[in-house]
Amino acid sequence: MTKQVQNQVILRVDGLSKSFGKLHVLKQIDQHVNLGEVVSIIGPSGSGKSTFLRCLNLLERPEKGHIWFDGVDITKKKIDIDKHRQKIGMVFQHFNVFPNLTVLENITLAPVLEKKEPKAQAAARAETLLKQVGLLDKRDEYPRKLSGGQKQRLAIVRALAMDPEVILFDEPTSALDPEMVKDVLNVIQTLAESGMTIVIVTHEMGFAREVSDRVLFMEDGQIAEEGTPDEIFGHPKNPRTAEFLSKVL
Amino acid sequence: MFLENMIKIWQRYYYVFIDGLFGTLWLALITVVFGTILGTLVALMRLSRSKILYAITSVYIEVLRGTPILLQLYFFWLLLPKIVPFSMSDTTCIIVALIVNSSAYVAEVIRAGIQAVDKGQTEAAKSLGMSDGHTMRYIILPQAVKNILPALGNEFIVMVKETSLASVFFVGELMTAYKTVQSSTFLALPSLTIAGIIYLIVTFILTKLLRLLERRLQASD
Repeated sequence: MTKQVQNQVILRVDGLSKSFGKLHVLKQIDQHVNLGEVVSIIGPSGSGKSTFLRCLNLLERPEKGHIWFDGVDITKKKIDIDKHRQKIGMVFQHFNVFPNLTVLENITLAPVLEKKEPKAQAAARAETLLKQVGLLDKRDEYPRKLSGGQKQRLAIVRALAMDPEVILFDEPTSALDPEMVKDVLNVIQTLAESGMTIVIVTHEMGFAREVSDRVLFMEDGQIAEEGTPDEIFGHPKNPRTAEFLSKVL
Repeated sequence: MFLENMIKIWQRYYYVFIDGLFGTLWLALITVVFGTILGTLVALMRLSRSKILYAITSVYIEVLRGTPILLQLYFFWLLLPKIVPFSMSDTTCIIVALIVNSSAYVAEVIRAGIQAVDKGQTEAAKSLGMSDGHTMRYIILPQAVKNILPALGNEFIVMVKETSLASVFFVGELMTAYKTVQSSTFLALPSLTIAGIIYLIVTFILTKLLRLLERRLQASD
């Protein structure tokens, strides 16, 4: 891939720990993501991948540690987290599109309300994005009329409409029927190639290998190994990584 | 004899019963409408992160659900004229009491309706950087309404019956109409039966309408 990853850190995580009751889900994680970088997080279920991702926009509150986004420590008490979340998009496993709004309203609601974008401008932007993912003809439908793959593409467009600096994907294809996976992965791949900063938790190993600049292997609340896709998938150093990959590939 | 009396009473006093019925429906409607507004506020306070608000609303709901409604009517009827700086009619006191009582039940209905909305909806809205207020207003409440509306209809039917207690204070409604007719005809049982039949017809129709509404709401899922 010829795309250039800049050396500017956009997300930095420092000593991140999180537990649910007695269960330590994340143990002292240090990580960073550069502007334009595509980072895949892989690992067995229950290893803390999703929790880690959800900490990045504070959907989960970490107990210990700090998260810097754009140079600002967003774990500080007095920070207006809503403002920062506007620049951190997120796409969920179960889409979470808004069933009470039309496709177009799903996309324009947050920009109009939170960024005070004029309605007409937001709608025009939404239409451009819908066209890119092949959903323009669904513009006035309600989400219940959409297939899973269409809902997920809508969710991606909804996140993009806020002009985020980074998008977090939480197993975006895990709830999809197999024949829909490709459509959604294509959209994500196009995004990745356009230079969007992406952090993605995924079980699609082929996809992770193809689009990532860096792969993190998580195990037991820690990042057990990280490296380029070739290093992780081709020559894993940690025996646990090798064992995991032998099971899923 | 009994049936004859009923027919005679109806022919002579039907307007009293009809007036009473409108009084009942009006009382129930006003109670549920304002009870819903007040109940929504209570529910939102209960769902807020403030522990103090949660404690206050818990006590509010416990007290109102744990004491008889007739006692509450007496309480407001005695208390309100003493504490408000203007004169207050019996009817107003009773309406306030009914609204407050209803708000406690409605608050729980609304809280349950809000909590039944998928947590992913809140997360999606928050992930877009939407404020708590906007999330509630544009995402959660519109979806919660579907869960809440049938229960509110039910509350209305309950109130059609509960408002009969207002007759204790001679507030114009159907049971008061019965008392009026009874005291001028001295035919208690036939008059009471007429009132009962009217209640039955009204609640029967309302229940059917509610079923219809529920089916409509389900169909739009």
